[in-house]
Amino acid sequence: MSEPILVATGLRKTFRAARGNPAVEALRGVDLTVATGEVFGLLGPNGAGKTTAMRILCTLLIPSAGSARIAGFDLVREQAQVRQRIGYVGQKGGMEGVATGRENLILQARLYGMSRAAAAVRVDELIDRLKLAEFAGRKTQTYSGGQRRIFDLASGIIHKPPLLFLDEPTTGLDPASRARVWDEVRRLNAEGATVFLTTHYLEEADALCGHVAIVDKGAVAALGTPADLKATVGGDTIVLGFASEAAAKAAAAAVVGSPFGAKMQTHEQTVRLYVHRGEEVLPAVLQFLNAKQLEIATVTLARPSLDEVFLKLTGRSLTSEPQVGS
Amino acid sequence: MLRDTYLVAKHELLVTARNPFWIVFGLFQPIVYLLLFAPFLKGVASTPGFPGGDSIQFFAPGLLIMNAMFNAGFAGFGIIEKMRSGFLERLRVTPISRVALVLGLVLVSTTEVILQSVLLVVVSLFFGLTVTMAGIALLLVLLVLVAIAMASASFSLALIVKDEGILAGVTNFFQLPLLLLSGVLLPIAFAPALIRALSALDPFRYAADAARDLIVGGSDGASVTTAFPLFVILAAIALGWFVRMIREAVA
Ligand SMILES: Nc1ncnc2c1ncn2[C@@H]1O[C@H](COP(=O)(O)OP(=O)(O)OP(=O)(O)O)[C@@H](O)[C@H]1O
Ligand SMILES: [Mg+2]
Repeated sequence: MSEPILVATGLRKTFRAARGNPAVEALRGVDLTVATGEVFGLLGPNGAGKTTAMRILCTLLIPSAGSARIAGFDLVREQAQVRQRIGYVGQKGGMEGVATGRENLILQARLYGMSRAAAAVRVDELIDRLKLAEFAGRKTQTYSGGQRRIFDLASGIIHKPPLLFLDEPTTGLDPASRARVWDEVRRLNAEGATVFLTTHYLEEADALCGHVAIVDKGAVAALGTPADLKATVGGDTIVLGFASEAAAKAAAAAVVGSPFGAKMQTHEQTVRLYVHRGEEVLPAVLQFLNAKQLEIATVTLARPSLDEVFLKLTGRSLTSEPQVGS
Repeated sequence: MLRDTYLVAKHELLVTARNPFWIVFGLFQPIVYLLLFAPFLKGVASTPGFPGGDSIQFFAPGLLIMNAMFNAGFAGFGIIEKMRSGFLERLRVTPISRVALVLGLVLVSTTEVILQSVLLVVVSLFFGLTVTMAGIALLLVLLVLVAIAMASASFSLALIVKDEGILAGVTNFFQLPLLLLSGVLLPIAFAPALIRALSALDPFRYAADAARDLIVGGSDGASVTTAFPLFVILAAIALGWFVRMIREAVA
């Protein structure tokens, strides 16, 4: 495998607060490694420090301590080289409202060193690729949230950066717009770009990311592939549905002594088996019940969610009780 | 680097010029001052102690300095919105040099001040202002220096306070006393001794004096040799401050 595109060690950031308030420790020693070519996700609740971490990695904030190498360059000492190789789409986007989308993109392209002609070609290419033609000539302040977000994305990839940072690329988007952003992230990744994104949507991290770091209160609480992380909370759940309660009871009785009956629960017409590697156990369960002539009506294999991982790590649920933050 | 400065400034100017309110209220505002104030000065000019010559000769240079001071002094208001919208962050993440970025932003205020100043001089000619070309050229250079210093300071302050309301308060707190002590509106010779002493601490006092000397081509006066170095230094300090602020503009 090639060298990781991003290695950060011991990143800290303390914001001085207004007089009388304690300083904010936004990051308390964050280590991250992002492999070249992957989609990497930072997952965490509001105020966890995701934006702070990303802004440091994009040279927008100077870390209070720690260091990072991005695409082989030192984050603090070789800012210009780092900037040349990254694209960044902030949480707030950053379009100039009274300029048109096209003008915004042209400016961006020119600032990355493209000639007037090259910028025009590249911008047209992106407008075409992302299907922005319909509103590219309008002032961006008239755009809907979804339209603006796609334009933001276009501005981040204008110079084809090998490493793209996306801060909450889909927050506030409807499912169709979100799907568009996801598709584009996948396409960019397939074309070779490494993508580093933040999100507080579990399904987003699950759907897009090769590796996920769960951050909470300025520190990485867990890091791994979504599957690994979910494996840490224990196994999968096989949910067996039966035609009647009696059938469910009979099945439960049969399963109790079996290798997969160690942890189980019966509720009305369903029997739940808690197992490791559910996908491997499931065929055996089906065969076992079949052999005993017990007829199954429905089968579901439920995977543990990242929410459960977060719950286990922090004692709080990511989806149900969001922390109040910026 | 010059290219990047040009790109930023061009974009900003295009955006500004697109606003019809700016054309009316921005470009012509100093003319309105002139039209309202010049007739009134006619009476004052006959007061004993008033510098000799036509009142417009006294008032127009002062107005030019005041305009540079005020127009550029409000430059910071625009950057707060850019910070909020993320536009500033988007500029900062590009590989352009921070100095180029800062100069591009400052250049916009400077250009506005030049446009307003030229317009003001032209209109003043109809009120009987006499000028020399060399004097006007040097005066424009001085106005550019004043604009750079004021705009950079205003931008830096804006990045610190991050709020239009607070910025307005801070700006007024400094600008009004600086204006009154500079003798832009009335000859400082009229003032009591204490005010005269304080006015010696006001850099704009020197700018106003120099502007009055320059407009008639008197480029060798002491006022001129004081004002230029003073404002070169002030502009450099303020620019340096702005560059430092933009390196870590925490939104
Ligand atoms: N400029 C700043 N000054 C002071 N505190 C700050 C500043 N920026 C961020 N913080 C604080 O640092 C912490 C982390 O903020 P950050 O924006 O990184 O969180 P986040 O994970 O991106 O949250 P969200 O999901 O809401 O975007 C928060 O407590 C926030 O209030
Ligand atoms: Mg954030």
